[in-house]
Parts: sequence; C-alpha cells; structure tokens
Amino acid sequence: MLKVRDIVAAYGPIVALHGVSLEVPEGGIVAVLGANGAGKSSTLRAITGLLRPKSGTIEFEGRRIDRLSVEEIVSLGMSHIPEGRQLFSELTVLENLRLGAYSRFSGADGGGRLARRDDMSPLGRFQHHLFHAATGGIRDLARGITQYRQRRQDFETALRRVFDYFPILAERKDQVAGTLSGGEQQMLAIGRGLMANPRLLLLDEPSMGLAPLVTREIFEIIQAINQSQGVTILVVEQNANLALEIAHYGYVLETGRIALADTSENLRKSEAVQRSYLGQ
Amino acid sequence: MEEFWQQVVTGIATGSVYGLLALAIVLIYRSTSVLNFAQGEMAMLTTFVAWSILQWGEYWVMFPLVLLIAAGMGAFIERVVIRPVEGAPILNIVIVTLGLFAILNNVATWRWGGIPKGFPAPPEVQVIGIRFMGEGALDIGPTVVSYHDLTILVFAVGIMVALYLFFQYTPLGLAMRATAQNPVASRLMGIRVGRMLTVGWALSAAVGAVAGLLIAPLILLQPPMMMGVLLFAFAAAVLGGLDSPVGAVVGGLIIGICENLVGTYTPEAWLGPDMKLTVTLLIIVVVLLIRPTGIFGRRTMRRV
Repeated sequence: MLKVRDIVAAYGPIVALHGVSLEVPEGGIVAVLGANGAGKSSTLRAITGLLRPKSGTIEFEGRRIDRLSVEEIVSLGMSHIPEGRQLFSELTVLENLRLGAYSRFSGADGGGRLARRDDMSPLGRFQHHLFHAATGGIRDLARGITQYRQRRQDFETALRRVFDYFPILAERKDQVAGTLSGGEQQMLAIGRGLMANPRLLLLDEPSMGLAPLVTREIFEIIQAINQSQGVTILVVEQNANLALEIAHYGYVLETGRIALADTSENLRKSEAVQRSYLGQ
Repeated sequence: MEEFWQQVVTGIATGSVYGLLALAIVLIYRSTSVLNFAQGEMAMLTTFVAWSILQWGEYWVMFPLVLLIAAGMGAFIERVVIRPVEGAPILNIVIVTLGLFAILNNVATWRWGGIPKGFPAPPEVQVIGIRFMGEGALDIGPTVVSYHDLTILVFAVGIMVALYLFFQYTPLGLAMRATAQNPVASRLMGIRVGRMLTVGWALSAAVGAVAGLLIAPLILLQPPMMMGVLLFAFAAAVLGGLDSPVGAVVGGLIIGICENLVGTYTPEAWLGPDMKLTVTLLIIVVVLLIRPTGIFGRRTMRRV
C-alpha cells in the first residue's frame, strides 16, 4: 500500500534520512523503532510531505506522492497523527473532530459536472455543453443539497465510530482540548485522525508522556482499529516492546538508516534489538 | 449630567470605529503574527475609492462594491506583498507594512490630491416605520444622539455579531481559527493554510473599509485621515489583548469614551482637550503594567 524507496531528507544542512526504504502492506501494522533522533518522525514527515525529500520516491496505492502538497496527500486517504499530538488546544473536542473530517469534504467540489464524452460529434458536444450550462445551476444546487445530507451522514457515522472507540471523548465533547489529560489528548489525536476515514494511519509515538496503563489501553485500541476496520497502520515508537506486540512487521532505524527489517517475532528474538531496545 | 452622557455616547460611537479598525488589526495578527501598520491606510484608500464611486452611484450600491474591492485589495496585498516575507524576522515584516503604509498614502495623494473632501454619512433608511441613519439627532431621554453615531454603533455591533457567527458556526470560520492556532496541524487536516491567510486579509480589509466609511463623515476625507484613528486602534488592540477580537472592540470603546471624557472634564490649565491623547495612552500604560497581555489577552502558557 505504501512504498518508500531510498528517501534522503534534511533540515537545512542537517541530513535526517540517508536513504530510507520501507514498505507497508495493506491491512498490516508496521512498526518503526529507534532511539531519539534516529529519524523516525522525519520518516513520517517525509511521507505526508511536511518534510520534502531531496531524493527517493514514495508511492501510496500505486501513485507517486512525493511531489504532492501536504493537503493533497492527506486527502488521498492517509492520516498523520503527529508527534506531541498537535491538537487545537483552544478548540473544543468536537471542533477538533470536525477539523479531522475537513479533508474529506473540502475536496468534494463540482467534479464530474460535465461527463466526458469523447465519442460525441462536435455538434453533440456543443448541445451537451449548452444543456449543462442551462441546467448546471439547478443541478449544482440539487447536488449540493443531497451532498450536504450525505456529508452530514458520513460525518455522524465517523463521529459515532470514534466515540465507540473512545467513549470518554463523547463525555468531554464540549470541553476545550487543552484541558484534557495526556491520555485523553492522545485519544483525541487518534480520533481526529480517524474522522478522515483513512485507509492508512501514521502514528508518531502514541505512547509519549503517558502512563504505562494508558499506553497499553491506547495500543489495544490501535490494534482494534486495524482489526475491525482494516485500517493499515504505520506506527513509530520508542517503546519497542509494546509496538512489536501489536505489529506484524518492524523496521529499526539508526541515524537515518534502516539497520534491521524483519517480522516482529524475529525482531523480538533478535539479540541486537533485545539489547538496544527491549532492555533485556 | 446631560453633557456627561453626551460625551459617553459620542465616545461610544468613535470608540466603535477604533474598535472596528482594531478588529481588523487583530484578525491579521491572530492568524499571521503580522502587525499591519498599513491597516489605516488601506481603509483610507478604500474610502477614496468609495468617494469616486459616489460620484456616479448610490450610497447603497457603493457600499457592497467597496467591501468587495477592499477584500480584493486585502487578498492581493497578502499574496503579493506579505507572502514573500512570510517566515522572515518580525522586523522585516514590520518594515514591509510600514512601506505599504507609505505607498498607499502616496497613491491616494497622487490620485485624489491632498485637499480634504466631504464624505456623506449613510443616507436615511426606513425599516417598518422606524428611522435609521441619515441626518439629525434622536432624543433618548438623558441625552440626544446623532443618527450617524447610532449608525456607527449599529454597524459595529452588526459586524461583530456577523464575524462571531462566521468564526463559530461555519466550516471556513473553524478552519481559519484552526489555522491561527496551529498551522502545521491544520495542514495535516487538509486545510490550505495559505488560502486561509488570504481570506483573513480580505476579511480584515473589508472590516477596515467599514471603519473608514463610518469615520470619514466625521473627520473629512484626506490622505492622512486614518493616522490618528490607527494610533487609537493600535492602542485599543493592545489594551484589549492583541489576540482577542472581543478585546479589540472593548478596548476601542474604552479608549473612545476616555478620550471624550478627558477632553471635556479635565481643566484647560491642567490638561484639557489638547492633552487627551497623552492621558488616554497613560491609562493604557497603567493597564498594561497590571495585565501585560491586555484585558482579554491570553497569557501565553508554555507547557514543559
């Protein structure tokens, strides 16, 4: 589903990624492990276009995305839940969730207004255009109304699903996001990402700053999202233990390079990983 | 006592204009951290455009037209002048808006000349038998209010309510608030941040244009007409808190009322009307000593 090939990326003169390659298969959970500064966040930032790669290619569902803007990339069906959550802390929980659904609705303009009829004669095409010019206004209005209903339903469905995963968010929906606890904020960040109905979810250190019990709960929900909805997940984590528990496949990043790549079972057995990341 | 109320009412009216211009400044500052020193000159220029349109058109034809032109000008300035210095050190941006100030001022003098022109107040309108706007004054018990002062108040309140509804209840307004708070996260939501900034400038220029149209009948139309207003508007924005639209308006009202009362009630030998600006600004300094972020400003909290 996602193919990253040989990307090199830098912040000014400081090179963060020296040719990183990785693949995320559809329906899977892939973990990227590594110490602080290994380039984990930079990898995710390169995928969503926040950090423009200098070379290398990124493909999402068979389409090159490494030259698209962030806004375009996220509207293709990918949600990036950034490091430190990046909530709109002065907005309410519900407003944050509304913004999560923004990309799905902003792109839905009058696409397909004129059916492309290459087989028509020039006169036929002219009449076709004329007909649409005359009726376009009414049709647009009608479509606007039906689309509005449809969007509203989509939004309600997505919202209900998020509240199912995170019932606490439903209770706090009118509360300002900045007043939530750390765990609740992470839940809101994930919920906001889910509102876009993504097929691929990029998670940057969901365990950051959270108590072990809360972290476990969140990882269980991440697994549930993958299993029940079939959302593909790419998760970046320092907590290798927990990440490998839910992931099918894992990569280990060291100073901007892939040092190891294997199934999570093998990685857990690997001595190098145990020594450096599992603390055994 | 009648004189006191008279001064308060006049203060509220001019304060509303300061508040509107302050609101325009805050709209831009909140989303881009740019202090737009050219805000007053933008309003002045659109008022001149309005004057030209009035040479052949009706007031109520001119009004929406000028708002559109102002919005277009705001969007244009953001795209062409401000976008290239985006992310530059704050001083660079200040210099750019000061340059814009000079340019707009020159353009107005070059095109329309420096001789002060009279500018009409909005003409009388009757809605369900109640008279709005136009000439004359209305007796409201303790004092009389000129119709134009009432007009200013109605417009100011109307614009504030409209802006509140826009920001609170429309998807575009929500996206703009999100952009102001966290541009990176907004991009990850699929919001085109650049477009939001353009819309913000357009909106701000339109609000400023209304301030220009409302103050021009009181102070004559001429290139330097907005200088004093801009000074008070900045003071109002700082007093209310630079990131708070409500603060801008309240700050404007406080300054408008202060200005009038100080001008009337302090004895000539001591302070008098000539010193009203100084006294007003002194009050602001005192308020800011107590609350450095302004009355409604948020204390910037940094989580460790």
